[in-house]
Amino acid sequence: MASFIIRRLLYSLIVLLVASFVAFAGVRAAFDPLAKFATVKDQEVKHRETVRLGLDKPIYIQYKNFIVKFVQGDWGTSDSTRESVASMIQRSMGKTLQLIIPGIIISLVAAIGLGVYSAVKQYSVGDYVFTTASFVGIAMPPFWFGLLAIEFLAIRSKDLLGLKQNPFYFVGLHSGNGNSIDADYARHLVLPVLTLTVQLIAGWSRFQRAAMLDVLSADYVRTAKAKGVPRRRVIMHHAFRNALIPLVTVVALDAGALFGGLIITEQIFSIAGMGRLFVGSLTNGDAPVLAAWTIVAASFVIIFNLFADVAYGVLDPRVRLS
Amino acid sequence: MKRKLRPTRLLAALLALGLIAAACSSSSETSTTATTQVNVPQGGSLVIGAEQEPDCVDWISSCAGSSWGYWMLNVQTMPRAYDAVKTDGEYAYAPNELLAGEAQVTTSPQQVVTYKLNPNAVWSDGTAITSADFKYTWEQITTGTDIYDATGYKNIESVGTPDPQTAVVTFAAGKNYAAWKGLFGGGYGIMPSHILASVDRDAAMKDGYTWSGGPFMLKSWTKTDNITLVPNPKWYGKNKAHLNEVIFKFTADTAAEFKAFTGNEVKMIYPQPQLDAVDQIAAGLPDANSAYTADTGNFEALWLNNAAAPLDDVKVRQAVAYSIDRDAIVNQLFGKLGVTKALQVINAPIVNAYSDTQAFAGYTKDLSKVDELLTGDGWAKGADGIYAKDGKPLAITIKSTAGNKRRELTEQVLQKQLADAGITLTIANTKAGDLFGKVLPAGDFQIGLYAQVLTSIDPGRCNIFCSENIPSAANTNSGQNWTRTNVSSLDPLLAQVDTELDDQARAAANKQADPITAEQMVTLPLDPLPNILLWSKTVVGPVSDNAILGPFWNLADIGIQS
Repeated sequence: MASFIIRRLLYSLIVLLVASFVAFAGVRAAFDPLAKFATVKDQEVKHRETVRLGLDKPIYIQYKNFIVKFVQGDWGTSDSTRESVASMIQRSMGKTLQLIIPGIIISLVAAIGLGVYSAVKQYSVGDYVFTTASFVGIAMPPFWFGLLAIEFLAIRSKDLLGLKQNPFYFVGLHSGNGNSIDADYARHLVLPVLTLTVQLIAGWSRFQRAAMLDVLSADYVRTAKAKGVPRRRVIMHHAFRNALIPLVTVVALDAGALFGGLIITEQIFSIAGMGRLFVGSLTNGDAPVLAAWTIVAASFVIIFNLFADVAYGVLDPRVRLS
Repeated sequence: MKRKLRPTRLLAALLALGLIAAACSSSSETSTTATTQVNVPQGGSLVIGAEQEPDCVDWISSCAGSSWGYWMLNVQTMPRAYDAVKTDGEYAYAPNELLAGEAQVTTSPQQVVTYKLNPNAVWSDGTAITSADFKYTWEQITTGTDIYDATGYKNIESVGTPDPQTAVVTFAAGKNYAAWKGLFGGGYGIMPSHILASVDRDAAMKDGYTWSGGPFMLKSWTKTDNITLVPNPKWYGKNKAHLNEVIFKFTADTAAEFKAFTGNEVKMIYPQPQLDAVDQIAAGLPDANSAYTADTGNFEALWLNNAAAPLDDVKVRQAVAYSIDRDAIVNQLFGKLGVTKALQVINAPIVNAYSDTQAFAGYTKDLSKVDELLTGDGWAKGADGIYAKDGKPLAITIKSTAGNKRRELTEQVLQKQLADAGITLTIANTKAGDLFGKVLPAGDFQIGLYAQVLTSIDPGRCNIFCSENIPSAANTNSGQNWTRTNVSSLDPLLAQVDTELDDQARAAANKQADPITAEQMVTLPLDPLPNILLWSKTVVGPVSDNAILGPFWNLADIGIQS
């Protein structure tokens, strides 16, 4: 098992190096770090910055210098705000995590429940209802669902229910300048997490249903049933565990992508997470932030891929052996 | 003097500073749905939606050119020598409470301005605001590194401090600065020397500072979430703050800001005049008051590259102007707000007193005039309805900031109107950073569509229209005359506007320059960009917009009902 993990880890490191180089070179090609000095009279300023940023050196040397500092924790300073890029990403990551963690937990529980139910009760009314709802959820763009949720669950529901305040909020994670974990925080979290989970639940529940159906038709399950094992025990102890394996992979891959992929949800709900940091940096042409952001986002995808590989190996010994 | 908050306002900082107030401008379209003549309650917390967070608040450095930063924090905390105030429908400078009265100006042998300070003026720590603070501010701006814009301050030879309550600002001989009232205030303010002189100013200010010389002081700045102000207990002005706390809550964009307002999460917003905002206001907002005005420092224009063929030919430039129904465009963009007429001068409405406000009135859509100009210039209409000369069709490209719906609509209307006139218009928008950082300075455009923003009451335009400011080796390619305007009769007039200390002579020179800009069609003004302010009916007090100081200029006078 250890050699399996080490092997996967080495593969991941190579992928990470390649990804970070592509990200760095892409940002360098797309954004001129000296653009902000376009109208500066003092030409010496441009020369000084060129030398300081190492722009007079070949791209691979620039990358080497960048990645060495990056690994040492020196991620540079934002061109726009002059703030440490590391602290900007740390702050944004914290906000994104506040959405992702409850989002994944809720989605996982709901998707497994719905998937298993739909498989066990295949072609029942409930199965058809959940299947239809899943297709709607998959097809629903997050920006559309988010706006609908704000309009109906926050704004109109207030009048409908005769409340003095909106039942849910949709600007940031706290009202005013609050920062505590309380009811206000929860009321801010509901809509963005709901928006995030709709597509996840819809997609994952389909995987879970398909995996469960696969397992339920397997020979060992049929054998268990023939031996008179109670139906509940067959489903929970024999079928369910094995049906989780494909979902683990999907969840790990999706979770990795979510760290940089909540752009729309964060924009709609004015949450300054990783998605909004990316959009803001892109708009400002903030190359140091973009380079670090891309590497961090790519790292999460690779790390969760690694996690999926390892988890698969743990759950299914045949993968390890191969 | 600066502020670029919105990318489209990047050019704002390019206009020179302040000017002396004055005369006679025509009133612009203004509408207010409510005047709140009620007793303003004491206490409470007001949450205001802010669609932009400042990058930093070291006001004089290059990272601080944010309009929202200026409105939220600079105006509330930085002492200023002069304020832009609207009196009898016109903007003019008036001494801030920091001064004991009008500054005294002498002009011979050189310009000298003597400021007498209010002896009661103190910083939030109780230390007096003195002439040493004037001197420190000037020194930082002129000798510091990474300074946003030292225009005007560079003209100063010395700042004398004969006593703590007297600051004597002497300009260098031959360096008169007409817009001097925008100095020691404007987008910068005056900084406390007793706090900053012994430390790194930029480090001490860029992420927020707790001292104040205004009615409010910064309580906290939670990056990416909010800025919170509380009253300055040592504020020496007449009007003390009613509110206990003001929270500026950052929203993602104008759409989110609007939603937050309609959902009652914020009580006041100042959205950009985008199409959806105009539509929503026109449709009516429940439980809200609104004020919008076209009497602003912002205007949009078609900036023509006078050096790029075919627009290097004045006849073609004029033909383009006669091809466009500008009133129709303005009506389509802002008609719902009552703004229906095109601007007829290349300057913002707030300096109408210095402008010939009808200079471009002759340019109305007239296709026979287009034909006369172009055929007289050797162009002939082909079978496809497009003019051509020497086998080359009359085709022009327009560039603007990508993603701006209002500008995209403007371009589409222009495209149709010019096609009707026999001119092909191609749209090639680009990112704001590239447009203002590369495309325009390099002259890589034929028509640019963007806004000019005045951040002081200064009609000066030499920086953008004098031939010496065309980017060239002589000015190390940093000149701001991106339209490459080169009209010899215009140069001396615009130069006079920058240096003339006699206000009437200054206005006369500027009014003389306006018809020349029209005759040479150096640029075609389009619309005054209206300012829009919306607030909940629970917000009470004299809520109003100030074209220079912004929508929160009198925040101390405003209160909130529980």
